[in-house]
Amino acid sequence: MSPHLRRLVLPLAVFAGLVVVWEVAVPALRIQQIVLPAPSGIVRTMVQTAGPIAFHARHTLVTTLIGFVAAVGLGLLLGFLIGASATANDALYPLLVGFNSIPKAAVVPMLVMWFGIGAVPAVLTAFLLAFFPVAVNVAVGLATLESELRDVLRVLGASRWQIFRKVGVPRTMPLFFASLKVAVSSAFVGSVISETVASNAGIGYLMAVAASDFNTRLAFGGLFVLAAMGVVLYGLFAVIERRVTGWAYTE
Amino acid sequence: MTQALERVSLEIERGTTVAFVGPSGCGKSTLLKLIAGLVRPTEGAVAVNGLTVAGPVKNVGMAFQNPVLLPWRTVLDNLVLPLEILRENHDPRAPARALWRERASALLGTVGLAGAEHRQPRELSGGMRQRVSLCRALIHEPALLLLDEPFAALDAFTREEMWELHQKLRLQREFTGVLVTHDLREAVFLAQTIYVMSAGPGRIAHVHRVSLDGPRTLQQLYSTEATALIRDMREQIRPTRRAVA
Repeated sequence: MSPHLRRLVLPLAVFAGLVVVWEVAVPALRIQQIVLPAPSGIVRTMVQTAGPIAFHARHTLVTTLIGFVAAVGLGLLLGFLIGASATANDALYPLLVGFNSIPKAAVVPMLVMWFGIGAVPAVLTAFLLAFFPVAVNVAVGLATLESELRDVLRVLGASRWQIFRKVGVPRTMPLFFASLKVAVSSAFVGSVISETVASNAGIGYLMAVAASDFNTRLAFGGLFVLAAMGVVLYGLFAVIERRVTGWAYTE
Repeated sequence: MTQALERVSLEIERGTTVAFVGPSGCGKSTLLKLIAGLVRPTEGAVAVNGLTVAGPVKNVGMAFQNPVLLPWRTVLDNLVLPLEILRENHDPRAPARALWRERASALLGTVGLAGAEHRQPRELSGGMRQRVSLCRALIHEPALLLLDEPFAALDAFTREEMWELHQKLRLQREFTGVLVTHDLREAVFLAQTIYVMSAGPGRIAHVHRVSLDGPRTLQQLYSTEATALIRDMREQIRPTRRAVA
Protein backbone atom coordinates (compact mmCIF):
# COMPACT_ATOMS: atom_id res chain seq x y z
CA MET A 1 0.00 0.00 0.00
CA SER A 2 1.37 3.41 -0.92
CA PRO A 3 2.11 5.67 2.05
CA HIS A 4 -0.45 8.11 0.68
CA LEU A 5 -3.24 5.55 0.65
CA ARG A 6 -2.09 4.21 4.00
CA ARG A 7 -2.53 7.58 5.62
CA LEU A 8 -6.09 7.69 4.32
CA VAL A 9 -7.14 4.09 4.94
CA LEU A 10 -5.67 3.52 8.41
CA PRO A 11 -7.59 6.24 10.28
CA LEU A 12 -10.80 5.34 8.43
CA ALA A 13 -10.39 1.69 9.43
CA VAL A 14 -9.86 2.62 13.08
CA PHE A 15 -12.91 4.89 12.95
CA ALA A 16 -15.03 2.13 11.39
CA GLY A 17 -13.83 -0.28 14.06
CA LEU A 18 -14.82 2.10 16.87
CA VAL A 19 -18.26 2.62 15.31
CA VAL A 20 -18.82 -1.15 15.14
CA VAL A 21 -17.79 -1.60 18.80
CA TRP A 22 -20.10 1.26 19.75
CA GLU A 23 -23.01 -0.19 17.72
CA VAL A 24 -22.63 -3.58 19.40
CA ALA A 25 -21.93 -2.25 22.89
CA VAL A 26 -25.04 -0.07 23.23
CA PRO A 27 -27.63 -2.91 23.12
CA ALA A 28 -25.24 -5.42 24.70
CA LEU A 29 -24.67 -3.22 27.76
CA ARG A 30 -28.30 -2.09 27.77
CA ILE A 31 -27.39 1.57 27.51
CA GLN A 32 -30.42 3.80 27.17
CA GLN A 33 -30.70 5.54 23.81
CA ILE A 34 -31.20 8.86 25.55
CA VAL A 35 -27.84 8.54 27.25
CA LEU A 36 -25.84 7.13 24.36
CA PRO A 37 -27.62 6.35 21.10
CA ALA A 38 -26.24 3.71 18.75
CA PRO A 39 -24.48 5.04 15.62
CA SER A 40 -27.17 3.60 13.36
CA GLY A 41 -29.81 5.64 15.19
CA ILE A 42 -27.68 8.76 14.96
CA VAL A 43 -27.23 8.31 11.23
CA ARG A 44 -30.98 7.78 10.78
CA THR A 45 -31.70 11.03 12.61
CA MET A 46 -29.04 12.81 10.57
CA VAL A 47 -30.64 11.68 7.33
CA GLN A 48 -34.10 12.74 8.54
CA THR A 49 -32.87 16.19 9.54
CA ALA A 50 -30.47 16.58 6.63
CA GLY A 51 -32.09 19.84 5.51
CA PRO A 52 -31.77 21.74 8.80
CA ILE A 53 -28.32 20.25 9.43
CA ALA A 54 -27.11 21.50 6.04
CA PHE A 55 -28.52 24.96 6.77
CA HIS A 56 -26.81 25.19 10.15
CA ALA A 57 -23.58 23.71 8.84
CA ARG A 58 -23.46 26.32 6.11
CA HIS A 59 -24.03 29.04 8.68
CA THR A 60 -21.17 27.78 10.83
CA LEU A 61 -18.94 27.49 7.78
CA VAL A 62 -19.65 31.05 6.71
CA THR A 63 -19.03 32.58 10.16
CA THR A 64 -15.86 30.49 10.50
CA LEU A 65 -14.49 31.60 7.15
CA ILE A 66 -15.28 35.28 7.67
CA GLY A 67 -13.53 35.19 11.05
CA PHE A 68 -10.69 33.20 9.56
CA VAL A 69 -10.08 35.57 6.66
CA ALA A 70 -10.05 38.58 9.00
CA ALA A 71 -7.67 36.72 11.32
CA VAL A 72 -5.29 35.90 8.48
CA GLY A 73 -5.22 39.56 7.47
CA LEU A 74 -4.49 40.86 10.94
CA GLY A 75 -2.19 37.92 11.73
CA LEU A 76 -0.07 38.65 8.65
CA LEU A 77 0.17 42.34 9.49
CA LEU A 78 1.04 41.74 13.13
CA GLY A 79 3.44 38.95 12.23
CA PHE A 80 5.29 41.10 9.72
CA LEU A 81 5.47 43.95 12.20
CA ILE A 82 6.74 41.81 15.07
CA GLY A 83 9.08 39.79 12.87
CA ALA A 84 10.64 42.78 11.15
CA SER A 85 11.09 45.08 14.14
CA ALA A 86 12.76 44.05 17.36
CA THR A 87 11.10 46.99 19.10
CA ALA A 88 7.63 45.91 18.00
CA ASN A 89 8.49 42.39 19.09
CA ASP A 90 9.56 43.47 22.56
CA ALA A 91 6.53 45.73 22.96
CA LEU A 92 3.79 43.52 21.54
CA TYR A 93 4.78 39.90 21.95
CA PRO A 94 4.14 39.65 25.72
CA LEU A 95 0.76 41.34 25.24
CA LEU A 96 -0.14 38.88 22.53
CA VAL A 97 0.79 35.94 24.72
CA GLY A 98 -1.28 37.39 27.54
CA PHE A 99 -4.24 37.93 25.27
CA ASN A 100 -3.95 34.46 23.85
CA SER A 101 -4.03 32.87 27.28
CA ILE A 102 -7.54 34.25 27.96
CA PRO A 103 -10.00 31.40 27.34
CA LYS A 104 -12.08 32.78 24.48
CA ALA A 105 -15.29 31.23 25.84
CA ALA A 106 -14.99 33.83 28.60
CA VAL A 107 -15.09 36.62 26.02
CA VAL A 108 -18.30 35.48 24.33
CA PRO A 109 -20.69 36.95 26.97
CA MET A 110 -19.02 40.31 26.45
CA LEU A 111 -19.34 40.07 22.69
CA VAL A 112 -23.02 39.21 23.13
CA MET A 113 -23.42 42.22 25.39
CA TRP A 114 -22.03 44.48 22.67
CA PHE A 115 -23.34 42.88 19.49
CA GLY A 116 -26.36 40.88 20.60
CA ILE A 117 -27.14 37.27 19.87
CA GLY A 118 -26.31 36.13 16.33
CA ALA A 119 -23.56 35.75 13.80
CA VAL A 120 -21.40 38.70 14.85
CA PRO A 121 -20.13 37.24 18.15
CA ALA A 122 -19.43 33.96 16.32
CA VAL A 123 -17.38 35.68 13.65
CA LEU A 124 -15.50 37.68 16.27
CA THR A 125 -14.77 34.65 18.44
CA ALA A 126 -13.48 32.80 15.37
CA PHE A 127 -11.30 35.79 14.56
CA LEU A 128 -9.94 36.11 18.10
CA LEU A 129 -8.95 32.47 18.23
CA ALA A 130 -7.40 32.33 14.78
CA PHE A 131 -5.12 35.34 14.43
CA PHE A 132 -2.59 34.32 17.06
CA PRO A 133 -1.09 31.26 15.33
CA VAL A 134 -0.81 33.20 12.08
CA ALA A 135 0.90 36.18 13.71
CA VAL A 136 3.35 34.04 15.67
CA ASN A 137 4.34 31.85 12.73
CA VAL A 138 4.87 34.76 10.39
CA ALA A 139 6.91 36.59 13.02
CA VAL A 140 9.10 33.55 13.65
CA GLY A 141 9.71 33.10 9.93
CA LEU A 142 10.91 36.67 9.58
CA ALA A 143 12.89 36.87 12.78
CA THR A 144 14.94 33.74 12.10
CA LEU A 145 16.45 35.02 8.86
CA GLU A 146 20.09 33.87 8.65
CA SER A 147 22.44 36.75 9.38
CA GLU A 148 24.79 35.55 6.62
CA LEU A 149 22.04 35.93 4.06
CA ARG A 150 21.31 39.42 5.30
CA ASP A 151 25.02 40.28 4.98
CA VAL A 152 25.25 38.87 1.44
CA LEU A 153 22.38 41.11 0.40
CA ARG A 154 23.40 44.20 2.34
CA VAL A 155 26.79 44.38 0.65
CA LEU A 156 24.88 44.54 -2.64
CA GLY A 157 23.20 47.67 -1.35
CA ALA A 158 19.90 45.92 -0.61
CA SER A 159 17.52 47.94 1.56
CA ARG A 160 15.63 46.46 4.49
CA TRP A 161 12.52 46.54 2.35
CA GLN A 162 14.25 44.60 -0.44
CA ILE A 163 15.51 41.97 1.98
CA PHE A 164 12.01 41.70 3.43
CA ARG A 165 10.44 41.30 -0.01
CA LYS A 166 13.00 39.05 -1.70
CA VAL A 167 13.87 36.84 1.25
CA GLY A 168 11.75 37.50 4.32
CA VAL A 169 8.32 37.04 2.77
CA PRO A 170 9.00 33.91 0.68
CA ARG A 171 10.94 32.41 3.56
CA THR A 172 7.96 32.91 5.85
CA MET A 173 5.46 31.31 3.50
CA PRO A 174 5.88 27.68 4.68
CA LEU A 175 5.28 28.76 8.26
CA PHE A 176 2.39 30.96 7.19
CA PHE A 177 0.68 28.16 5.31
CA ALA A 178 1.35 25.76 8.16
CA SER A 179 -0.35 28.23 10.48
CA LEU A 180 -3.41 28.45 8.23
CA LYS A 181 -4.52 24.91 8.99
CA VAL A 182 -4.17 25.56 12.71
CA ALA A 183 -5.93 28.91 12.35
CA VAL A 184 -8.86 27.52 10.40
CA SER A 185 -9.40 24.85 13.04
CA SER A 186 -9.24 27.49 15.78
CA ALA A 187 -11.68 29.73 13.93
CA PHE A 188 -14.05 26.80 13.63
CA VAL A 189 -13.83 26.10 17.37
CA GLY A 190 -14.45 29.78 18.06
CA SER A 191 -17.56 29.90 15.90
CA VAL A 192 -19.07 26.83 17.50
CA ILE A 193 -18.34 27.99 21.05
CA SER A 194 -20.10 31.25 20.37
CA GLU A 195 -23.03 29.54 18.62
CA THR A 196 -23.51 27.19 21.53
CA VAL A 197 -23.76 30.08 23.97
CA ALA A 198 -25.54 32.74 22.01
CA SER A 199 -26.87 32.25 18.51
CA ASN A 200 -29.95 31.33 16.57
CA ALA A 201 -28.20 29.45 13.81
CA GLY A 202 -25.21 27.21 13.27
CA ILE A 203 -24.28 23.70 14.32
CA GLY A 204 -23.42 24.89 17.82
CA TYR A 205 -26.92 26.32 18.17
CA LEU A 206 -28.46 23.15 16.71
CA MET A 207 -26.64 21.05 19.30
CA ALA A 208 -27.62 23.36 22.16
CA VAL A 209 -31.25 23.11 21.12
CA ALA A 210 -31.05 19.33 20.64
CA ALA A 211 -29.51 18.95 24.07
CA SER A 212 -32.21 21.02 25.75
CA ASP A 213 -34.82 18.78 24.04
CA PHE A 214 -32.95 15.66 25.21
CA ASN A 215 -32.57 14.81 21.54
CA THR A 216 -29.31 12.98 22.12
CA ARG A 217 -29.21 11.55 18.60
CA LEU A 218 -29.33 14.96 16.99
CA ALA A 219 -26.73 16.31 19.42
CA PHE A 220 -24.40 13.46 18.44
CA GLY A 221 -25.25 14.08 14.79
CA GLY A 222 -24.04 17.65 15.29
CA LEU A 223 -20.80 16.35 16.76
CA PHE A 224 -20.22 14.16 13.72
CA VAL A 225 -20.88 17.04 11.39
CA LEU A 226 -18.46 19.22 13.35
CA ALA A 227 -15.76 16.58 13.26
CA ALA A 228 -16.21 16.07 9.52
CA MET A 229 -16.12 19.80 8.82
CA GLY A 230 -13.04 20.24 10.98
CA VAL A 231 -11.18 17.47 9.20
CA VAL A 232 -12.15 18.78 5.77
CA LEU A 233 -11.07 22.35 6.57
CA TYR A 234 -7.77 21.19 8.04
CA GLY A 235 -7.16 18.83 5.13
CA LEU A 236 -7.93 21.52 2.60
CA PHE A 237 -5.33 23.85 4.02
CA ALA A 238 -2.82 21.04 4.47
CA VAL A 239 -3.14 20.32 0.72
CA ILE A 240 -2.78 24.01 -0.16
CA GLU A 241 0.31 24.18 2.05
CA ARG A 242 1.95 21.27 0.24
CA ARG A 243 1.11 22.71 -3.15
CA VAL A 244 2.33 26.23 -2.49
CA THR A 245 5.40 25.65 -0.35
CA GLY A 246 6.49 22.18 -1.39
CA TRP A 247 10.09 23.39 -1.58
CA ALA A 248 10.20 23.52 2.21
CA TYR A 249 9.89 19.74 2.42
CA THR A 250 12.92 17.67 1.66
CA GLU A 251 12.02 14.31 0.26
CA MET B 1 30.21 45.20 24.70
CA THR B 2 33.63 43.62 24.52
CA GLN B 3 36.22 44.97 22.19
CA ALA B 4 36.75 42.65 19.21
CA LEU B 5 39.86 44.17 17.65
CA GLU B 6 42.73 46.36 18.77
CA ARG B 7 45.47 48.14 16.85
CA VAL B 8 44.87 46.23 13.67
CA SER B 9 46.50 48.02 10.80
CA LEU B 10 47.17 46.57 7.39
CA GLU B 11 46.98 47.13 3.68
CA ILE B 12 45.83 44.62 1.11
CA GLU B 13 47.31 44.85 -2.33
CA ARG B 14 44.85 44.80 -5.20
CA GLY B 15 44.55 41.42 -6.89
CA THR B 16 46.07 39.43 -4.04
CA THR B 17 44.45 37.20 -1.47
CA VAL B 18 45.16 37.62 2.21
CA ALA B 19 44.17 35.18 4.90
CA PHE B 20 43.42 35.72 8.58
CA VAL B 21 44.01 32.76 10.85
CA GLY B 22 43.83 32.57 14.59
CA PRO B 23 41.98 31.12 17.54
CA SER B 24 38.22 31.43 17.89
CA GLY B 25 37.22 34.83 19.19
CA CYS B 26 40.16 36.69 17.71
CA GLY B 27 37.86 39.00 15.77
CA LYS B 28 38.50 37.55 12.31
CA SER B 29 34.87 37.70 11.29
CA THR B 30 34.49 41.17 12.76
CA LEU B 31 37.38 42.26 10.59
CA LEU B 32 35.56 40.98 7.50
CA LYS B 33 32.42 42.83 8.49
CA LEU B 34 34.42 46.00 9.02
CA ILE B 35 35.89 45.71 5.53
CA ALA B 36 32.42 45.09 4.07
CA GLY B 37 31.04 48.07 5.97
CA LEU B 38 28.49 45.89 7.76
CA VAL B 39 29.70 47.09 11.16
CA ARG B 40 31.39 50.40 11.90
CA PRO B 41 34.67 50.67 13.73
CA THR B 42 34.36 52.28 17.16
CA GLU B 43 37.77 53.76 16.48
CA GLY B 44 39.90 54.09 13.38
CA ALA B 45 38.87 53.67 9.78
CA VAL B 46 38.67 51.24 6.89
CA ALA B 47 39.20 52.29 3.30
CA VAL B 48 38.36 50.23 0.23
CA ASN B 49 39.69 51.40 -3.12
CA GLY B 50 40.92 54.59 -1.45
CA LEU B 51 37.49 55.54 -0.09
CA THR B 52 36.67 55.47 3.60
CA VAL B 53 33.98 52.87 4.35
CA ALA B 54 30.86 54.48 5.83
CA GLY B 55 28.14 51.96 4.97
CA PRO B 56 27.89 48.57 3.24
CA VAL B 57 30.59 48.50 0.56
CA LYS B 58 28.94 47.72 -2.72
CA ASN B 59 31.67 46.27 -4.84
CA VAL B 60 31.94 43.23 -2.61
CA GLY B 61 30.92 39.60 -2.81
CA MET B 62 30.57 37.52 0.34
CA ALA B 63 30.44 33.79 1.03
CA PHE B 64 30.18 32.00 4.34
CA GLN B 65 30.52 28.53 5.81
CA ASN B 66 26.74 28.26 5.49
CA PRO B 67 25.92 28.65 1.78
CA VAL B 68 22.49 30.21 2.64
CA LEU B 69 20.90 29.60 -0.74
CA LEU B 70 17.20 30.38 -1.08
CA PRO B 71 15.48 26.98 -1.14
CA TRP B 72 12.47 28.23 -3.10
CA ARG B 73 14.63 29.42 -6.00
CA THR B 74 16.42 27.28 -8.57
CA VAL B 75 20.19 27.50 -8.81
CA LEU B 76 19.86 30.01 -11.65
CA ASP B 77 17.38 32.16 -9.74
CA ASN B 78 19.66 32.10 -6.71
CA LEU B 79 22.51 33.35 -8.85
CA VAL B 80 20.61 36.24 -10.36
CA LEU B 81 19.31 37.49 -6.98
CA PRO B 82 22.25 39.93 -6.62
CA LEU B 83 21.58 41.20 -10.13
CA GLU B 84 17.89 41.71 -9.34
CA ILE B 85 18.83 43.85 -6.38
CA LEU B 86 21.40 45.89 -8.29
CA ARG B 87 18.87 46.45 -11.07
CA GLU B 88 16.11 47.55 -8.70
CA ASN B 89 18.52 50.00 -7.15
CA HIS B 90 19.56 51.36 -10.56
CA ASP B 91 23.09 50.33 -9.80
CA PRO B 92 25.35 51.01 -12.81
CA ARG B 93 26.90 47.57 -12.36
CA ALA B 94 23.63 45.83 -13.14
CA PRO B 95 23.93 44.13 -16.52
CA ALA B 96 21.01 44.01 -18.98
CA ARG B 97 18.50 41.34 -18.04
CA ALA B 98 19.18 39.48 -21.30
CA LEU B 99 22.75 38.84 -20.17
CA TRP B 100 21.89 37.39 -16.74
CA ARG B 101 21.32 33.84 -17.81
CA GLU B 102 24.37 33.70 -19.98
CA ARG B 103 26.54 35.11 -17.24
CA ALA B 104 25.17 32.70 -14.63
CA SER B 105 25.57 29.71 -16.93
CA ALA B 106 29.13 30.65 -17.77
CA LEU B 107 29.97 30.98 -14.10
CA LEU B 108 28.33 27.63 -13.30
CA GLY B 109 30.39 26.08 -16.09
CA THR B 110 33.58 27.42 -14.53
CA VAL B 111 32.82 25.81 -11.19
CA GLY B 112 31.86 22.49 -12.80
CA LEU B 113 28.10 22.86 -12.42
CA ALA B 114 27.16 23.27 -16.09
CA GLY B 115 23.56 22.26 -16.63
CA ALA B 116 22.57 22.68 -12.99
CA GLU B 117 20.63 25.91 -13.68
CA HIS B 118 17.21 24.47 -12.98
CA ARG B 119 18.04 22.24 -10.08
CA GLN B 120 16.77 23.00 -6.61
CA PRO B 121 19.33 23.72 -3.86
CA ARG B 122 18.02 20.79 -1.80
CA GLU B 123 19.04 18.41 -4.60
CA LEU B 124 22.68 19.49 -4.39
CA SER B 125 25.49 18.15 -2.23
CA GLY B 126 27.23 20.40 0.30
CA GLY B 127 30.15 21.00 -2.04
CA MET B 128 27.84 21.89 -4.92
CA ARG B 129 25.89 24.31 -2.74
CA GLN B 130 29.10 25.98 -1.70
CA ARG B 131 30.04 26.36 -5.35
CA VAL B 132 26.70 28.02 -6.05
CA SER B 133 27.25 30.29 -3.05
CA LEU B 134 30.67 31.23 -4.44
CA CYS B 135 29.10 31.92 -7.84
CA ARG B 136 26.48 34.13 -6.22
CA ALA B 137 29.26 36.08 -4.54
CA LEU B 138 30.95 36.59 -7.93
CA ILE B 139 27.99 37.08 -10.29
CA HIS B 140 28.15 40.87 -10.14
CA GLU B 141 31.92 40.75 -10.76
CA PRO B 142 32.95 42.36 -7.48
CA ALA B 143 36.47 43.69 -7.05
CA LEU B 144 36.63 42.31 -3.53
CA LEU B 145 35.65 38.81 -2.40
CA LEU B 146 35.21 38.25 1.34
CA LEU B 147 35.18 34.65 2.49
CA ASP B 148 34.37 33.62 6.06
CA GLU B 149 35.42 29.99 6.50
CA PRO B 150 33.70 29.17 3.25
CA PHE B 151 34.89 25.57 3.00
CA ALA B 152 34.89 24.62 6.69
CA ALA B 153 31.80 22.40 6.45
CA LEU B 154 33.10 20.36 3.51
CA ASP B 155 34.97 17.07 3.61
CA ALA B 156 38.74 17.22 3.13
CA PHE B 157 38.78 16.21 -0.53
CA THR B 158 35.97 18.50 -1.57
CA ARG B 159 37.72 21.28 0.32
CA GLU B 160 40.91 20.81 -1.67
CA GLU B 161 38.90 20.88 -4.88
CA MET B 162 37.37 24.15 -3.75
CA TRP B 163 40.84 25.61 -3.16
CA GLU B 164 41.83 24.80 -6.72
CA LEU B 165 38.55 26.20 -7.94
CA HIS B 166 39.05 29.40 -5.99
CA GLN B 167 42.52 29.79 -7.48
CA LYS B 168 41.17 29.27 -10.98
CA LEU B 169 38.45 31.87 -10.45
CA ARG B 170 40.93 34.36 -9.08
CA LEU B 171 43.27 33.94 -12.03
CA GLN B 172 40.32 34.51 -14.39
CA ARG B 173 38.66 37.38 -12.59
CA GLU B 174 41.46 39.09 -10.75
CA PHE B 175 39.49 40.01 -7.64
CA THR B 176 41.10 40.84 -4.35
CA GLY B 177 40.40 38.15 -1.79
CA VAL B 178 40.09 38.26 1.99
CA LEU B 179 39.81 34.87 3.59
CA VAL B 180 39.06 34.03 7.19
CA THR B 181 39.86 30.45 8.05
CA HIS B 182 40.88 27.97 10.73
CA ASP B 183 42.59 25.79 8.20
CA LEU B 184 46.29 26.65 7.94
CA ARG B 185 46.82 24.59 4.80
CA GLU B 186 43.95 26.45 3.19
CA ALA B 187 45.55 29.77 4.10
CA VAL B 188 48.90 28.67 2.65
CA PHE B 189 47.32 27.41 -0.54
CA LEU B 190 45.14 30.44 -1.21
CA ALA B 191 46.88 33.48 0.24
CA GLN B 192 49.89 35.58 -0.64
CA THR B 193 49.93 37.08 2.84
CA ILE B 194 48.75 35.42 6.05
CA TYR B 195 47.96 37.34 9.23
CA VAL B 196 48.10 35.29 12.40
CA MET B 197 45.83 36.86 14.99
CA SER B 198 45.68 36.56 18.74
CA ALA B 199 42.53 36.82 20.79
CA GLY B 200 40.95 39.05 23.41
CA PRO B 201 40.91 41.67 21.85
CA GLY B 202 42.07 40.52 18.43
CA ARG B 203 45.45 41.76 17.26
CA ILE B 204 47.75 40.89 14.45
CA ALA B 205 50.44 38.78 16.11
CA HIS B 206 52.45 37.67 13.07
CA VAL B 207 52.54 38.27 9.35
CA HIS B 208 53.75 35.66 6.86
CA ARG B 209 54.39 36.06 3.15
CA VAL B 210 53.72 32.88 1.22
CA SER B 211 56.23 32.75 -1.58
CA LEU B 212 55.03 29.57 -3.31
CA ASP B 213 54.90 29.98 -7.09
CA GLY B 214 51.49 30.30 -8.67
CA PRO B 215 49.38 28.76 -9.90
CA ARG B 216 49.76 26.58 -6.85
CA THR B 217 49.29 22.86 -6.69
CA LEU B 218 48.29 20.66 -3.77
CA GLN B 219 51.74 19.08 -4.09
CA GLN B 220 53.32 22.35 -3.00
CA LEU B 221 51.61 22.02 0.37
CA TYR B 222 53.99 19.12 1.10
CA SER B 223 57.09 21.18 0.27
CA THR B 224 59.56 21.94 3.03
CA GLU B 225 58.69 25.61 2.86
CA ALA B 226 54.94 25.09 3.20
CA THR B 227 55.18 22.55 5.99
CA ALA B 228 57.60 24.75 7.90
CA LEU B 229 55.24 27.69 7.55
CA ILE B 230 52.26 25.64 8.70
CA ARG B 231 54.22 24.37 11.70
CA ASP B 232 55.32 27.89 12.62
CA MET B 233 51.77 29.21 12.49
CA ARG B 234 50.53 26.29 14.57
CA GLU B 235 53.04 27.12 17.24
CA GLN B 236 52.06 30.77 17.12
CA ILE B 237 48.35 30.04 17.52
CA ARG B 238 48.55 27.31 20.14
CA PRO B 239 49.70 29.42 23.14
CA THR B 240 47.08 32.10 22.44
CA ARG B 241 44.45 29.37 22.38
CA ARG B 242 45.51 28.19 25.78
CA ALA B 243 45.27 31.71 27.10
CA VAL B 244 41.65 31.89 25.98
CA ALA B 245 40.75 28.47 27.35
